[in-house]
Amino acid sequence: MALLKREEWQGFVRDVDWSYSYVDDSAVFPEWHCGTGKVPREAWSAWEEDYKVSYPEYVATQREKEASAYAVKSALQRSTTFDHLDEGWKSATKMHFGGVALVEYAAVLAELKMARFGLNGAWRNMATFGQLDELRHAQITTFFGHEFIGKDAQYDWTQKAFHTNDWVLISLRNLFDGMMIAPNVVDLAIELPLTFETGFTNLQFVALASDALESGDVNFANMISSIQTDEARHSQQGGPTLEILVEHDPVRAQWVIDKAFWGSARAFAALTGPAMDYYTPLEHRKQSYREFMEEWIIDQFVHTIEEYGLKKPWYWDEFMRGLDIWHHGLQMGLWYWRPTLWWRPKAGVSKDERAWLAEKYPNWEKVFGDKWDVLIDNVNANNLEATLPETLPWLCSTCHLPACNATQSRDGTWRVRDWSLQYDGRTYHFCTNGCRQIFWKDRDNVNHQTLIDRFLAGQIQPMDVGGILGYMGLTPDVMGDDPDYEAWTKDYVGRPVEGISLAAQS
Amino acid sequence: MKNPVGPVLSMCDEVEQVIAAIEDDNPGTDIEVIDRGAYVRVQGENEITVTQQTLRRYLGADFEIRSFETMMTAFNGRAITTSDAITWQSVGLRKAEKKAATS
Repeated sequence: MALLKREEWQGFVRDVDWSYSYVDDSAVFPEWHCGTGKVPREAWSAWEEDYKVSYPEYVATQREKEASAYAVKSALQRSTTFDHLDEGWKSATKMHFGGVALVEYAAVLAELKMARFGLNGAWRNMATFGQLDELRHAQITTFFGHEFIGKDAQYDWTQKAFHTNDWVLISLRNLFDGMMIAPNVVDLAIELPLTFETGFTNLQFVALASDALESGDVNFANMISSIQTDEARHSQQGGPTLEILVEHDPVRAQWVIDKAFWGSARAFAALTGPAMDYYTPLEHRKQSYREFMEEWIIDQFVHTIEEYGLKKPWYWDEFMRGLDIWHHGLQMGLWYWRPTLWWRPKAGVSKDERAWLAEKYPNWEKVFGDKWDVLIDNVNANNLEATLPETLPWLCSTCHLPACNATQSRDGTWRVRDWSLQYDGRTYHFCTNGCRQIFWKDRDNVNHQTLIDRFLAGQIQPMDVGGILGYMGLTPDVMGDDPDYEAWTKDYVGRPVEGISLAAQS
Repeated sequence: MKNPVGPVLSMCDEVEQVIAAIEDDNPGTDIEVIDRGAYVRVQGENEITVTQQTLRRYLGADFEIRSFETMMTAFNGRAITTSDAITWQSVGLRKAEKKAATS
């Protein structure tokens, strides 16, 4: 029996935007969830997805994806592949598992919100598939990470991380609560499917798969690639939403993209940047973080938003300069505050690695080299204590990451500067001008308290390093440390010591 | 390429055949292939298409076009899916076509 083609019947089952007779439309689609704003309600009737899929097709295709991902996993489970992976690469996966597993669950809630409050039947239909996708991602990520707990307790943070008050997680919760949980569905569709999933997730799920495969982690490469095939589809809720919003309220469309783009760029600098440029073994790096950003974000994503009639964000120059700075500063911060991490951050600054960094980032030696030299000399003088933190870094009130971005002054020197503003009786400090501007424009938003705010308010007791680590949920078996000090310091053994390390040793 | 569009394919056994099918279905378009190991970008200017019919020639008579999704980790442009084909189109071209259709 010949089946009808999808095009011949999909409209009947999908387009269920009937007129209500017992209640008002606004009771079913309240503004605070739907956020139509200046867009006339009827304008949403033009919402149409290009990437169409029916439920039977969806189920059959998802079954194939799951079967394939789990087949690879069970084949590799019996091998010794995992035991031979580089510690740096394992750290990239631990960071991914802990940082991502429950964000996928938050994305389930976001898709469910669009599946209920989306302003067109076609949109709600796509979001229904989207929430099933995200449920799969939450499950597959948690399950794949769980496998390794017996071998390494840090993998326990796959499921645990998001339930703790670790500073990395507070930062991610702050970003994703703002992007996925709080917004109305119009803003949500622009922030999550369009900006985050069409743009940034490709870095962590497609580009990083290249490094994974090169590093021999076929299982991980396969899992993240499988996840991203779902994202490629449901991220298409963004385009039709943006088209309608740009037509009626381009100022809002631009602001929503600008804000989500900046927040994503900061988070990816902290996580994907170090994973690509420091944790992935040198011989396995496909491209630098900057090159991947150029490919996926600068070329592809920016081209897309310009085609929709929007501009590059106002902070573009600051963002572009940050591509050479942010993730290197954050890498140094992650390494220095390593007891606060659930992975083993690799320093990645042996002579060969530094030569690679200097080739990819011409200013690297000038801005970061001498700071690493101090750490190296202290390690080589057996003075590890001097390389461990005794104080806390200032955390930015917008992105919650350490304020550690060097900028160049007119006289050529590089300094980490403080961007601050006064609001509601207190002074807020920020890592960048962009974070400061976003905070001010969005100041009525509910912002999480940074770990430092909590510390200063006396919420963390006792007020010492032990108290802080305890508050963050870190136990000695999980606490991060460098996996191999010798690997990156042995090149420099015996060289004359100068500067701060000399002072520290005397 | 000014407006490159097309799929980003994940590593799988079928990549070469899929590229061949895309080349067959777009005889007048230069198809650029960028291989990054775990993923391969396949792109053409403004618009490219691949049909179930051609894919079946390369991948077997039982290949369903919906399964293309299992190989496509990302794409550039808008992806338009029908029962017989997938077309990737630049946003600009898509907008112009929609406008022409409504006027």
